Amino acid sequence: MTAHGSGVDGRVRRTLARPHGAGEGPATAPPQDARVSRRWFLERMAWVGSAAATGTLISKAPAAASPRGASVRPEAFAPSVRPQALDDLTELTLSESMSLIRDGVLRPADLVNAYVDRIEAYDGVYQAYAARPTREDLLTEAARTPAGGADAPLRGIGLAPKDNFYTADLLTEGGSLVFQGFQPDYDATAVSLLRAAGGLVLGKAQMGNLAGGRARRYGTTISTTRNAWTPDDERYSPAGSSSGTGTAVAARLAVAGIGTQTGGSVIGPGNAQGLTCIKPTFGRISLHGVIPLSYTRDHVGPMARNALDAAILLQVLAQPDPHDPRTLGLPAPPNYALAATPFGGERPRGRWPTSIGIWPGYLSSDEGRVNELRAAFVGELERNPAVRVVPDVRLPDQWEELTTGALGGSHGDPTAFFIEHLRRDVRDFADRLPRFLNGMLQSADTYVKVQQARQLLLHRMLTQLFTQCDVVLTTSTGPFDHTGLPVMCMPIGFDTDAETGYRVPRGTVMAAPPFGEERLFAVAAAYQAVTDFHLERPPDPS
Amino acid sequence: MSPQVRTPPEPPTDDELNTYIRMRYRLLGIDISVLPQSDEDAPMDQERLLENARSILREDAEAANFQIDPQFTLPVPFPAPFTAWTGEGAP
Repeated sequence: MTAHGSGVDGRVRRTLARPHGAGEGPATAPPQDARVSRRWFLERMAWVGSAAATGTLISKAPAAASPRGASVRPEAFAPSVRPQALDDLTELTLSESMSLIRDGVLRPADLVNAYVDRIEAYDGVYQAYAARPTREDLLTEAARTPAGGADAPLRGIGLAPKDNFYTADLLTEGGSLVFQGFQPDYDATAVSLLRAAGGLVLGKAQMGNLAGGRARRYGTTISTTRNAWTPDDERYSPAGSSSGTGTAVAARLAVAGIGTQTGGSVIGPGNAQGLTCIKPTFGRISLHGVIPLSYTRDHVGPMARNALDAAILLQVLAQPDPHDPRTLGLPAPPNYALAATPFGGERPRGRWPTSIGIWPGYLSSDEGRVNELRAAFVGELERNPAVRVVPDVRLPDQWEELTTGALGGSHGDPTAFFIEHLRRDVRDFADRLPRFLNGMLQSADTYVKVQQARQLLLHRMLTQLFTQCDVVLTTSTGPFDHTGLPVMCMPIGFDTDAETGYRVPRGTVMAAPPFGEERLFAVAAAYQAVTDFHLERPPDPS
Repeated sequence: MSPQVRTPPEPPTDDELNTYIRMRYRLLGIDISVLPQSDEDAPMDQERLLENARSILREDAEAANFQIDPQFTLPVPFPAPFTAWTGEGAP
């Protein structure tokens, strides 16, 4: 219990301790991936590749929240709260916090104070945040009626956006000397949507230099952010580049957060820290006001403690944005929270019949207990009556050729944004300099072939991979980042790190065809209803 | 007359590529000489930068071998958007 009383009294406990069970829930339509034309997605991604060269990529107009507002439905609010979460408010999940605040049981100010207490006590060790508002500023904001009024599901919820999201009230430095001291005059659309839904920015989370690698002191090789599971030992990496968001969420320094992914930067830290994260289909979340790396590969991704929390954030963020044409014209977002709700009574099963493919090599890792944990995970999936496991899916033709080397890369993309910075002083880019200079060496012939190969790869993933299964368990996000397909991670157990000897979480990567987010959430929700790896809390710093 | 068999040119050496890379950056107004020549403790040095750049150039040359069938086209939604030009498929 902190000085600000981060607990809930016994009277409230009785009110809240309703039995938790997985209901049948309302009948649902087939998941969105089964209803969207794959040909349409192919055509759309071809347009994105073309648009990357037309100069429409940087809009200078202020970002604005969608007038449609956040359409979070009742399923998002937890029907009950875990008793152990009532002793320490930072233990509440996003969904649990939303329910308590909506019901008037928990005051936003109390939640804010609980998190700020913890940040002040421990962030000197974790170094998850790069910049933070004062407690007073947060309490003032929490006391204000959000613009969304009653439709503000995130009221009082403290969040940790990565430091490449523009914020009008906090520096946005991208973990780099290149942006040191940069103060945007508007919020990124994603941040403005979170705030319009009542969310609070507890701080800007540290990140790898210009969205690459783990967080470090700007322009140096000195690590900063610690992994939440090994706060006393910097050797075990929090992974990157959304390092700070991952640590903040796992270490209970934020309820949830948002990162960005161009090549595994949400899923990597998510798996390294026992989180449930999703990188949605390309264009689902606006990139306006995000320091860019690639017009065709950048994605915003929610990072959370369980599938339902990640689904809630995605629901709030999945809005068309007039400032980002990549978000326009997509099918309306379905009810992600419903998809992420356990389904099927006492023994939850997948909400939809789903075939789950096993990537070649997925079950032959030689790292620690990884193979054992993955085998146990697949065994649990096999016990789910709605799941059909497809062992050893066949990879699309020319897989190696299309996914590695120049054809699987995006060398020109970051170069295009940063020429003036490169002329000013290449030392500002530190370890990331090659990534930003590479594009200057790539031929026009290769650039065209990269775009063609990407489309061919996507075509084959849709016609050769996702005809074998609805979801695939894989070991890498690269080809899915490259083609804009959704990817999710969640913890599946614990292992001992060989170098430090610490107990650390291990996760899995799952991918789906375009707009397969519901399918991923449903698989994760069914698994998390019968396991508790996602609920384990890392140790505090000693 | 038998076709003449041409021997491919010798691939460039590392030194030749380094000269090319430095020249390319100079042409763009980018000065890499401010980096230390070789310092493994520095976040970046010229040696590592050039090594990476050489691998990118060689990768780039390999990519030239990739040939997509010039007659290959991706399937588009049906009725295709082109029908808007012809009036076909109008309600």
